[in-house]
Amino acid sequence: MSDPRKPPDDLALVERLRAGDETAFMVLVDELGPSMHRVARMYVSSDTVAAEVVQDAWVGILKGLDGFEGRSSLRTWIFRILVNTAKTRGQRESRTVPFSSLAGDDLDQPTFDPGSFGAPGEPNAGAWSTLPFDWRGMPEERAEGTETLHVIGGAIAMLPPMQAEVIRLRDVLGWTSEEVCNALDLTETNQRVLLHRARTKVRGALEEHFRSVSGA
Amino acid sequence: MSVDVSITCQEVVELLSAYLDGELDPTTLARVETHLAGCDGCTMVLEEFRETIRLSGGLTVEQVDKTQRRTLLEAFRDWTAGG
Repeated sequence: MSDPRKPPDDLALVERLRAGDETAFMVLVDELGPSMHRVARMYVSSDTVAAEVVQDAWVGILKGLDGFEGRSSLRTWIFRILVNTAKTRGQRESRTVPFSSLAGDDLDQPTFDPGSFGAPGEPNAGAWSTLPFDWRGMPEERAEGTETLHVIGGAIAMLPPMQAEVIRLRDVLGWTSEEVCNALDLTETNQRVLLHRARTKVRGALEEHFRSVSGA
Repeated sequence: MSVDVSITCQEVVELLSAYLDGELDPTTLARVETHLAGCDGCTMVLEEFRETIRLSGGLTVEQVDKTQRRTLLEAFRDWTAGG
């Protein structure tokens, strides 16, 4: 997990880039590269084109570096350029990507199974009728093992792309919600809805996993 | 007569991310906290959300493709050289 970077550190980093510091540049490429590729891939037709978009975006980022004033975080600024580059390229490919295909088409549905709660009209309407499996007491070595990370990674990979990217940026990389909204061009509400759905699904995958390993 | 401000478990679980991220308005926040104080089921799910977020932070970031890494380093060198 990387620390949220503060604008003053960003300005220092920009200075190092301007001075030709290759290590600083490659650290940035390694930190942001995988997310940049996935975000680009949302808007264009193939991994090959996405790699070109990332490449073009970096060239644009370096060219525009003098214009970075630290009003947003550097990584947000980088993603704005990436998203614009990817959208332009997608348009040139005549590729229209409906928001629902990125975000998932179930955003107005409840995230928890309605069957777990008392039905409307019943005396216990909306209250738990079946509690989820309680996995809070998992031994630490079990909870924090590589198997758990595998379950989380697998659950994220199954999410619609925008949900996956929001949870990766927020919970894996530790970005703020403001940064994610700006970087991915999402409203606060959309970001919150996407994140909540993603976290609910990952929590559900962990519940299933811990239930099965506990033999319950 | 007091106004009914109760909120159901089904409503609370939809608000847990916003609750954990400090994004609820004061009225909703008060309702959620009152509910949580009296509901073991929702408290359990809340704690599991917290744990899900903590565990997700342990995922490692994937590697950037080697060819792309090399290409980008060259682009950086060109830029540094005034290209």
